[in-house]
Amino acid sequence: MTDQKNSLRLELREWLNKNVPRDWRSAADSHEKFAVHQRAWFGKLAKAGYAVPHWPAKWPGGGRSLAEQKIIYEELARADAPRLLLSFVSTYHAFATLHECGSKAQQDRYLPEILNGETWCQGFSEPNAGSDLAAIRTKAVRESRPDGDVYVVEGQKVWSTMAQYADRCLLLTRTSSDGPKQAGMTYLLMDMKSPGVSVRPIHQIQGDEEFAEIFLDMVEIPVSERVGEEGEGWAVAQATLASERGLTLMELSYRMRGALKRIADDIRLHKRDQDAGIMRDFGRLATQVDACCALADRFLENRMQGNEAIGDASIVKNTYSRTLREWTKFGLRIGGINAQYRDPITYGDLNSGNWMADFMNSYAWTIAGGSEEVQRNIISERMLGMPREPKEWKLG
Amino acid sequence: MIELSELSAAAQKAFPADKITPSRDASWQLITEMGWLMLELSEEQDGLGLGRDASATVHFELGHILPATPLLSALLGLQAVAASDRLVDKQGWVERLCAGEYVPLNLLSGNVENSGDGRLNGTISGIFEADMATHIVAATAGRYDLIPLDAVGVAVTERPLWDPSRRLFDIELVDYIVNPNLVIAEGDDAGTLHDRLSPSAQLALAADSLGAANTVLNMTVEYLNTRRQFDRPLAMFQALKHRVADLKARLVAAEALLWSRANEVTSMLEMGALKAHCTQLFCDIAEDAVQLHGGIGLTDEYPCHLFLKRAFLNAELCGNTDYWEQNMGCQALKASSSDR
Repeated sequence: MTDQKNSLRLELREWLNKNVPRDWRSAADSHEKFAVHQRAWFGKLAKAGYAVPHWPAKWPGGGRSLAEQKIIYEELARADAPRLLLSFVSTYHAFATLHECGSKAQQDRYLPEILNGETWCQGFSEPNAGSDLAAIRTKAVRESRPDGDVYVVEGQKVWSTMAQYADRCLLLTRTSSDGPKQAGMTYLLMDMKSPGVSVRPIHQIQGDEEFAEIFLDMVEIPVSERVGEEGEGWAVAQATLASERGLTLMELSYRMRGALKRIADDIRLHKRDQDAGIMRDFGRLATQVDACCALADRFLENRMQGNEAIGDASIVKNTYSRTLREWTKFGLRIGGINAQYRDPITYGDLNSGNWMADFMNSYAWTIAGGSEEVQRNIISERMLGMPREPKEWKLG
Repeated sequence: MIELSELSAAAQKAFPADKITPSRDASWQLITEMGWLMLELSEEQDGLGLGRDASATVHFELGHILPATPLLSALLGLQAVAASDRLVDKQGWVERLCAGEYVPLNLLSGNVENSGDGRLNGTISGIFEADMATHIVAATAGRYDLIPLDAVGVAVTERPLWDPSRRLFDIELVDYIVNPNLVIAEGDDAGTLHDRLSPSAQLALAADSLGAANTVLNMTVEYLNTRRQFDRPLAMFQALKHRVADLKARLVAAEALLWSRANEVTSMLEMGALKAHCTQLFCDIAEDAVQLHGGIGLTDEYPCHLFLKRAFLNAELCGNTDYWEQNMGCQALKASSSDR
């Protein structure tokens, strides 16, 4: 088993040596070009059998154990290869949703296309349903049409990662307002080319456009595109959200550790290496980054042994996002005034050494995917058994 | 081979979590009987031959109850004796130490001068529980010696601590004549020995700190869940429970780091940085624990302050936080230039 793992590592390392595009940072100087490069890189990895290691063995490149998946992401980080961002929602979220809750027809239709490079986005969050996802209001009404029933969807989604490039969307809608918020939701698969769908990229503070808003104006979605039963969307959404547990944060932690050398380069460049205060803080940061990596490793090991506990994932997420914030802020401090002169950003890199951009980008991790504050609630309430605040409130 | 989980379970049973600060002498007898003094001693020397992870496990568990019993000082003293290749009657020493004779190593540096004619003058600091010791292993400038505490020219002085969970002593040497039969290491050998003992010390202090941090954090959660103000448990306020959640997250991450480094290959510097990281976290948790307990946290009868005091002492032992962080920073800078 260990030999097998070693051979995977060596084989992949050799492959990455030959195949990682050396110039991926500079080549992607616009978001459009970034998308082109992402598609090409995904295609290359998929062909070589490294793009979907978590899929079942019947798929090319699938059937890898969690331990093997860990090796693949460790090596991708080590080789400083581009991260698979554009295909992330399709290979993880869409895959998990279809695999666990989709019909056979849906699986047969969509999974091969994902492997061919079709990309998906996630239509969950709304302007008034962020941390409180169950508050979504995008309405779906079932109506009959000559060639079969459809849901007519009206509403707005926001913070959908790279929706502007997506072919399809995992769409969470409300089909009923009766009962608790979690009831009455229905999960649909939407073609982004459907009439009535419009997408507007969100201009972020660092100049990137990783997210978009999706406006839905009487969009008709065939009933055959529903996942699970009507009213069971919340349960299906849990499968989507649970699809990625720990591998990404392990990969990102390793990348952050590798990128400590960018800070070291700047310490030398700006001749701060004789400053004891700087060296102390750098030493502290290096240890903190190591703790972050050790935690991600431990989380995955626990998962492999079936020992994941409630709250563990929240601790991993908050530890990474907080460490990333510290990492970027320290870079900013070393960069000094130079970091305030605006340089073109590098798409798809959280540790680029363009310190203001990296710093602003780090908010994506403290806010997206369940904000730091929501994770604190999970840790304190579900792990430490502290009570929730009362639900009822009224203005004084 | 003893599994770590067995070791941990045995420690929890011997030192139950709800009985903090157990009697020093009863604890000493217990750890002697359990064979923990022989943890890291090789099997050839009739020890248990366990690794650093075993020692970290025991210190982590003991840390929960703020032990007075000076296991770390004793283990380091024994390691020094066992590693010596010139100590006369080494085997006899090893046997006596394993049986419970207490011969601690100093955990702070001193200012001892070697006058060149075999006489030592000065102060050795950082001897825990010297009142129960017969000898000490004195790490002084460039040498390690066994020094009998009843010898001529040796005076033992207690240095009262803020931390009531332990007692610390200075040893004053006035024209103390080194006994050639009791020399453990000199010159290069002393340097080698230091580099071997230091990581053990750092790891044990890190483990002790995280064990204690767990106890005081749990106490704080319990207090916030119980104490009511404004008609609700304090734990209901996000302003308070979010602070606890952050401390918990930092503690879990630090534990992951501890176990990832509790092995024989971790360098001295990485172990020192680990110790700095863990003692700093223990200080932060203990500091917030007092604050979150409010008034009762300031009372002597409530145990919160014991953790605070132990935390800040741990941070000063075997190299302080600034020292390790700065050296780690220099090392990280160097490491990143070599692979360019």
